[in-house]
Amino acid sequence: MTLTSWTRRRMMATGGAGLAALPLGLRPLRVAAQTTVNLQLSWLHSVQFAGSYIAQERGFWRDAGLEVSLMQGGPNAPVEPPVVSGNALVGISAADYTAAAVAEGAPFKIIGVAMQKNPFAIASLPANPVAVPADLMGKRIGMALANTPVLQALCSLNDVDIDAIEIVPTQYSAQPLMAAEVDCLLCWETDLPVAMAIQGIEARTMLMADHGYALHSQTYIATEDSLANRRADLVALMAGEVRGWDAYRADTDAAVALTLAMFPDAGLDQPTQKLQAERQVPLMFSDLTDRNGFGSWTDEAVAANIETLALLGRDVMPDLWDRSILDEVHGR
Amino acid sequence: MTGIASHTVRPGHAGLTAALGLLILLLIWETGARALSDSYILAAPSEVLVWLRDNRGLMARALTQTLTNAAMGFAAGNLAAIALAGVALVWPGAQRTIMGLALLVFCLPLVATGPILRVLLGPGNGPQIWLAALAVYYTTLIPLLVGLRAAPSVWLDLIRSYGRGRGAELIYVRARAALPYLFAGLQIATPAAFLGAMVGEFTGAERGMGVLTTRFIRAMDVPAVWALASVAAAVSILAYAAIGWLAKAVLRDKPPIILALPPARSAHGTRDALLVCVLALLLWWGLMQGLGLSRFFAKRPGDVFDALFLAPDAAETRMVLLDALIQTIIYVVPGYLAGLALGAGLAVLLILAPALAAVAMPVAVALRSVPIVTTAPLIVLALGRGALGTTTLVAIMVFFPSFVACLHGLRQAPGQIMDVFDSYAAGPISRLIHVRIPAMLPAFFAAARMSVPAAILAVTVIEWLATGRGIGSLMALSASLSDYDMLWASVVAVALLSVLCHAAVAMLERRVLRVFAAEQAVT
Repeated sequence: MTLTSWTRRRMMATGGAGLAALPLGLRPLRVAAQTTVNLQLSWLHSVQFAGSYIAQERGFWRDAGLEVSLMQGGPNAPVEPPVVSGNALVGISAADYTAAAVAEGAPFKIIGVAMQKNPFAIASLPANPVAVPADLMGKRIGMALANTPVLQALCSLNDVDIDAIEIVPTQYSAQPLMAAEVDCLLCWETDLPVAMAIQGIEARTMLMADHGYALHSQTYIATEDSLANRRADLVALMAGEVRGWDAYRADTDAAVALTLAMFPDAGLDQPTQKLQAERQVPLMFSDLTDRNGFGSWTDEAVAANIETLALLGRDVMPDLWDRSILDEVHGR
Repeated sequence: MTGIASHTVRPGHAGLTAALGLLILLLIWETGARALSDSYILAAPSEVLVWLRDNRGLMARALTQTLTNAAMGFAAGNLAAIALAGVALVWPGAQRTIMGLALLVFCLPLVATGPILRVLLGPGNGPQIWLAALAVYYTTLIPLLVGLRAAPSVWLDLIRSYGRGRGAELIYVRARAALPYLFAGLQIATPAAFLGAMVGEFTGAERGMGVLTTRFIRAMDVPAVWALASVAAAVSILAYAAIGWLAKAVLRDKPPIILALPPARSAHGTRDALLVCVLALLLWWGLMQGLGLSRFFAKRPGDVFDALFLAPDAAETRMVLLDALIQTIIYVVPGYLAGLALGAGLAVLLILAPALAAVAMPVAVALRSVPIVTTAPLIVLALGRGALGTTTLVAIMVFFPSFVACLHGLRQAPGQIMDVFDSYAAGPISRLIHVRIPAMLPAFFAAARMSVPAAILAVTVIEWLATGRGIGSLMALSASLSDYDMLWASVVAVALLSVLCHAAVAMLERRVLRVFAAEQAVT
């Protein structure tokens, strides 16, 4: 991360936010009366959503006339129902879940992509590593059976015979790997391997995104109805997100400190949050986001996503992604 | 001599046995944890204490939150049970319908109800309180209804001879007769309410012990996970003991002899079942319509019918569902029977050897109050993911209501008959066989009935956590893929399975109780 790129991004962020504020300024009512909206997060509070915390803390939303409350997710808190019901204006989902919901009739669009690279990884121990997909053959993998299509997709992309892998249904925890009940885990790069590292065991991780598994994650979804009728709120919300995440990248330690301060009852600890904060940076930021701003994506990325989704059994059109909100945020 | 010695344990002696027993238990736990330290599944009591000392502020705040929600749910659920029982008694014609609907509501899996409650009640404590209440009302209602009938007919005749009506009968006779059973229900409810509140937090609560459990399991912070489990267990044990103490203070009279004529068999079984079905469908549709829930995730009966019979892929949907259902049934029956046997067996054991109670009771309450996500990895490690491990997990989740109900039932042995056995210096075994077990039967069957939905829900949780097969896994998958047609079809399947198993148990119960406790037979 060079100083010039940092400055450029910062300029762009402030510039973008300034432009975003301009059309809002033309509607004094909007600014005077604070609109309250909910943002439905996909999991428990942690540095995973620190960009949003920064936006809230520093008043990025308040300045735009928006009062955002962050709704925590959980093991039994799917994101789609509150967004469909209008309880949440925006939800944090992933392209595969969104595609599934759209197939079931939910009128969703992806309006921003926080994780350009999918965080799914295969974690193993250095003594018995999975470095490339072919290493999976003959290994026992611990995962939720629900994720079998994900493994299947990885296998298809890399000519690996899935029948040569023994799938062990496990809880989402690194414990089966540590106890040698399995040889590897299907998990996120940013959670179970981090937990292992904190326990003093450095796991080997193979990021699936590096082996053809192109799937946007931590995507911002909104309904078509909101896109048509609540554009100003959406633009204000996403503008705050963009500024918040740019500030996050500029100083992840400050983001960690803020997360710990905002959620003292969440049982978070600093070393875990710091490591997680560092590890998610390469998933969220790239040359592309340096050029086009946080949350953006290319047509090629959409095409690659559609291919991966097809492997997961989902037929998706490119118009599932809607750039218009981010374009307004960035003043394009 | 032995007979007398065994049922008059001196208090000092019992206290010593209890202390010794708990000490041994702690030692086993500590040694076991040290032996397993490489597998990251069990923390030793010493580690738990250290963690609690270092994190007492965090723990206290989480406990306050969860305990408050659990207490509110406990109060609401039990009051609802008492109200329902009252209605059922004053208006006997409605009893079967009320019971049927109560059973169906109790069968609703969390994975379907959680998100709906969250959407309806918004952020805050609503879903946690509701889920705690839903976790307790049924296990109070069933014993309470048994208790309300457990009155000698002569007492009722007395009330009638004074020309008093059903209201007086309810207050002066039935309510008093029902008290022991109500206390059994309340004791069963204590750990369930706490667990319900914790699991309710999985729907996106901001704070509490369930949130922390989720967090620490992922972080593999084993001492923290077991500290949470220990606190959950300790709170439940204390609440359980408090209700037990209250029951002892209130229930001074020896249980009476209950004699009644076997009633004629009801001819309205089919009609009532049909009425329950129609009402359930109306309620389902009406509530969702009335609350304006989105059709995307709140599927109406018509949507499920479409998905199962009219849609182009209906045949495939039915196949998937049936497959999952069969896999579930394979595990649920042995798990249910094992849990029932474990509960009744433990209750009998405690009557024969009361000194064991000081150790067995806390363990039993702890097993019920600790979230299965904490204990499942331990059992999976010991017994594997196959039939044995699954059956054991289900038995652990199910045995508690049957244990408590049977224990209360065994204590309902009529005082006068026990006096007769005393005068013949009869031993504890012959008392057990000739007096206690017959007196226990109504409570046992109440337990058998309430364990049916509990066992099915338990299997679905285990399937989701450990085996990854069956209807529990299907429901979790459907929810994550927004396949709410499949989710609600699964809910219907689970409900039907519960109702059928329930009916089978009830049939057996009628046959047995006509002989042993005719007052219980529902006309």
